[in-house]
Amino acid sequence: MTTETLLQRATELLAPFSKGNTTPETNRLDVQIDANDLPAATSALISNSWGYLSAITPMDLGAEANKLEAIYHFCEGAAVTSLRIQLPREDRPRIPSISNLIPVASFFERELGEMLGVDVVGTPDSSRLFLPDDWPDGVYPLREEFSIEQATPVEPHETLPEFGRTGNKFTVPIGPQHPALKEPGHFEFSVDGEVITGARMRLGYVHRGMEKATQERNWIQNLYLLERVCGICSHTHTSAYAYGVEKLAQVEVPLRALAIREIIAGLERVHSHLLWLGVAAHEAGFDTLFMYSWRDRETVMDLLEELTGNRVNYSITVLGGVKHDITAENSHSIHTALDYLEERIRHYLNIVTTDTTFLQRTRGIGTMNLDEAKHFGALGPTARASGLVRDVRIDSPYGAYHHFPVSIVTDERGDLEARFVVRMKELLVTCFTIRTIVDNMPAGELTTRFPRKIPAGETISRVEAPRGEAFYFIKSGGGENPVRVKIRTPSLCNWTSVLNKAVGHQLADVPMLIAGMDPCFSCNDRMITVRRKDDSQTLSWSQMREYGIKKYAAMREMK
Amino acid sequence: MNILTSLLSLMFFPAGISLILSGMLYEWADRKLVARFQNRIGPRWFQPLADTIKLLSKEEITPHGINNFLFYGLPIVALSGALTAALYTPVLGLTPIYSFQGDLIVSLYLLSLLTMCTGLAGWNSTSRFSLVGATRSLTQLFAYEAPFLLALLGPAMAAGSWMIKDVSTYASNHWMFITQPVGFIVALIGLMGKLELPPFDAPEAETEIVAGALTEYSGRGLALFHIGKSVELVVAISLVTAFYLGGIGNPLIFILKTLAILLFLATLQSMLTRLRIDQTVGMWWRFGALLALLQILVIILLKGWLI
Repeated sequence: MTTETLLQRATELLAPFSKGNTTPETNRLDVQIDANDLPAATSALISNSWGYLSAITPMDLGAEANKLEAIYHFCEGAAVTSLRIQLPREDRPRIPSISNLIPVASFFERELGEMLGVDVVGTPDSSRLFLPDDWPDGVYPLREEFSIEQATPVEPHETLPEFGRTGNKFTVPIGPQHPALKEPGHFEFSVDGEVITGARMRLGYVHRGMEKATQERNWIQNLYLLERVCGICSHTHTSAYAYGVEKLAQVEVPLRALAIREIIAGLERVHSHLLWLGVAAHEAGFDTLFMYSWRDRETVMDLLEELTGNRVNYSITVLGGVKHDITAENSHSIHTALDYLEERIRHYLNIVTTDTTFLQRTRGIGTMNLDEAKHFGALGPTARASGLVRDVRIDSPYGAYHHFPVSIVTDERGDLEARFVVRMKELLVTCFTIRTIVDNMPAGELTTRFPRKIPAGETISRVEAPRGEAFYFIKSGGGENPVRVKIRTPSLCNWTSVLNKAVGHQLADVPMLIAGMDPCFSCNDRMITVRRKDDSQTLSWSQMREYGIKKYAAMREMK
Repeated sequence: MNILTSLLSLMFFPAGISLILSGMLYEWADRKLVARFQNRIGPRWFQPLADTIKLLSKEEITPHGINNFLFYGLPIVALSGALTAALYTPVLGLTPIYSFQGDLIVSLYLLSLLTMCTGLAGWNSTSRFSLVGATRSLTQLFAYEAPFLLALLGPAMAAGSWMIKDVSTYASNHWMFITQPVGFIVALIGLMGKLELPPFDAPEAETEIVAGALTEYSGRGLALFHIGKSVELVVAISLVTAFYLGGIGNPLIFILKTLAILLFLATLQSMLTRLRIDQTVGMWWRFGALLALLQILVIILLKGWLI
């Protein structure tokens, strides 16, 4: 189905609930509905298999409009239908939950509740997901009137429940600090002997208040801020933001720049998947594979450094183009590096499909079938390993993906082994695409002029990160700063599947199951500055500098 | 033998200091080999010693809600068990200084003392990781102990004695890894289970249960457990070498043989993925125990035939 027919279909399905339709962009449909119609409207879309819930954007429309807005974004192919619900601007306006229809909505609803102060009626878990335990009640960071002075810590009223041990049943806490987690997150697995009977999670340990911070920085500064959403897929975030802002500004980016962005995105995928392979192997207790894959990952890191000057935050994207060109010399080193990497990736593909002891830990573990993957709203390689054909690069090509398409890799089996196979094969496809682009580099400029102020408007930018679809909602008020940037990273959508699939598995499989979706905690967590009661305070830059100088002087004296 | 020599042999040689030091060297060799297999540089030769000294000098944190007597006593019992076992074992290819009929069984149980203590230490702690680790340690003990014992009984039956000294002497003239290859393999793999080396490291799988039963241990207690483990490595390897690879003999050649076993263990460690505890138990009882029994059966039949 084309995007037009999809949108036509959505219009028909939502007609009974619509209080007004708009089409802000050719691939989008905005439908105003009443809060009470939300479950019915969602059900109309879902039961006719129109799309999946991609994100919920909480937004404060400001004192002038005196309204709050919750936007439910559904995606199918390139088409995006947004259900827009305006709510009165009061403490805890009510909105019905849709978690019973779409499990992943539970996370978004928790965010909606704590960030915008909306009372989501009937949501299965209304405890805090991102905000710290000592955050005061009734203070909502995404409200316009919020100021950091309001966030004075209070005595936490929700302490972690102490699970006593009854017979063989007890709770194993994993995290926030645990050797299996490379980043902080908190999980509680109730186990009976070695078998998992229940799972809960809590995020927000690396929450940095980025969505809020974007509102105080100009369009260009935000590029560098958002690059730091994630240390692994930094390029994904700058690209997603840049494509969105470029759409809003109606700037045509030269094809050469787009091609270079796609090369970097491909290399980033290689580095990310190799990193994941190592972590997953380590979780399984196969440290040799861990060491080898990380050694080989150095090749692509060095290559990225050669191309962009940086190993982690590449900073090659600027609004309207890229910073660095890819020279003939660079092309040569790309080919050389890929020769080596392709050989190694084939070797790893062979290992993960033939090594007997490794297969004991992956084959048939955490199997998620196609229907479950759809129901849980899985994204990226996790979804594709269950046979779900879902890839933004193909469904809704952006940048240079029109000219240099990638082919999709899927697997029907849905277990951990399938996820290894999908990721490794995806790397081979990526390497092939990178070579194609390098050999057929389009000529042209690297950048175009870019305005400082962006015309008012809203846009949605979706980019396929190594872990799945990254979703950006960007709203401009016509000024130098954005009014709202909403970021939804793929890991958040994949959690539902892990927590549900963990039940019934052995405790020993849990690290593997968590690793299987390639979680990225810092991507999930974004929003808040925290002021602790006793041990910290908010410092300005000059205060921090002074503090640092004093501290190191004192340390020198001690020596 | 008077008390003074007994004391000396217990404190310095073959047990005591020299055994602890050689344990550390073996541990270093193991770590270095695994590191090289994994394309890493690996530790310097004195690293295990440095680790131990550092641990010994660190503060020992006593957790709440435990039995203090057990908490401090268990590491000492574990280490002394392993050290005592050395007195009956041909460490470095030398004739064991003590022997009595049945010392083979006693030594094997002394070696198991370490695992028992680890399990108890985990049980004594209130940490859930320790608890899961302890359960796994003891479960695994039940899995490999019987096959390992059977694998060492094979040579003993062939030699017709329950004394390690007699078996080793008999083994000097009979290379039993040729005559009893199945038992040899089972003994080697049992060794890995006993030492909780990968792929049998589920009891201390860091990605699941942090450090397993020893999660709450720090400082001296942890150091003693570590030393106990390196001592056990030497004693157990010496035992298998003496039984299967040509018995008591030239210490230099004996050390080379033990190193060959260590190389084999290191290779397996770096090649295999950690087994889940249910897989470990399943593997031992489905294959390990049966193979060892088969070996014993063959020996019994052959002996009956020859006599």
